[in-house]
Amino acid sequence: MNLAFDIFTVSVVSAGAFFFLAGTVGLLRFPDSLTRLHALTKVDNLGLGLVVVGLLPQANGLFGALKLVSIWLLVQLSGAIVTQLIAGAVRQRGSDG
Amino acid sequence: MNSSEEQSRPAEPRVNGPGTLGSAISRAAGFFGFWLVLTGADADDLAAGLFAAVAATWASLRLMPAQQWSLRPIKLAEFALHFLRQSIAAGIDVALRALDPRLPLRPDFVVYQTRLPPGTRRDTFCAIMSLLPGTLPCGPAAGNGLNIHCLDVTQPVVEQLAAEEALCVQALGGAQRND
Repeated sequence: MNLAFDIFTVSVVSAGAFFFLAGTVGLLRFPDSLTRLHALTKVDNLGLGLVVVGLLPQANGLFGALKLVSIWLLVQLSGAIVTQLIAGAVRQRGSDG
Repeated sequence: MNSSEEQSRPAEPRVNGPGTLGSAISRAAGFFGFWLVLTGADADDLAAGLFAAVAATWASLRLMPAQQWSLRPIKLAEFALHFLRQSIAAGIDVALRALDPRLPLRPDFVVYQTRLPPGTRRDTFCAIMSLLPGTLPCGPAAGNGLNIHCLDVTQPVVEQLAAEEALCVQALGGAQRND
């Protein structure tokens, strides 16, 4: 059973790492700030979600698992809000930097 | 966000729910539960946790006054599942575009006319939208418009957003009539 959990963790966390890699590639390749924000929020959220789901079987009891899920939710919340603020600021300035 | 504005809004669906007190109690319970999760329910920290929960509740009621959310639990659960699927689709969509050698992007702005009144519900919808595939809200436009930055304007963005908004309204309640 432990082996099955370990295999699950390794594969799902690897999938998460893949999405972080793809997000970083997007950050480097996308042409302007706004498209880069898409890469950061969407791909990294999925990457972090997969890392969290992958780590759940290894969590230290119920509180450990809830803490992991809280981290994910807080990152989603702050990502969703901060992205809009940055996007609004970029749009107002009209800069592509 | 201010309360007189909230009250003057027409045709808000009202439910027989708890008012400010109920809201305060449920928020305090939520904050205290969060504290328990963060500290692993260590008995030595409970007093500090109670104090923190009360302070957080006070701040949250100041910043986001209690209001009636006609939440429908089953619709909300369906919406959460739908949202989860959509955010997975969003991640895969952007990842594929980033890794595609041709870099298939057609970024531009679209103005979306929302039916949600300004305030918490609209902000919630914007937060959800920013995690959906290909859309990123970046500030209000004229009237009830929202400026949306899209990764690919060849997609039927407005139709998708309208469908998402309808689901969101079903789950959270509170659309504004278009008059």
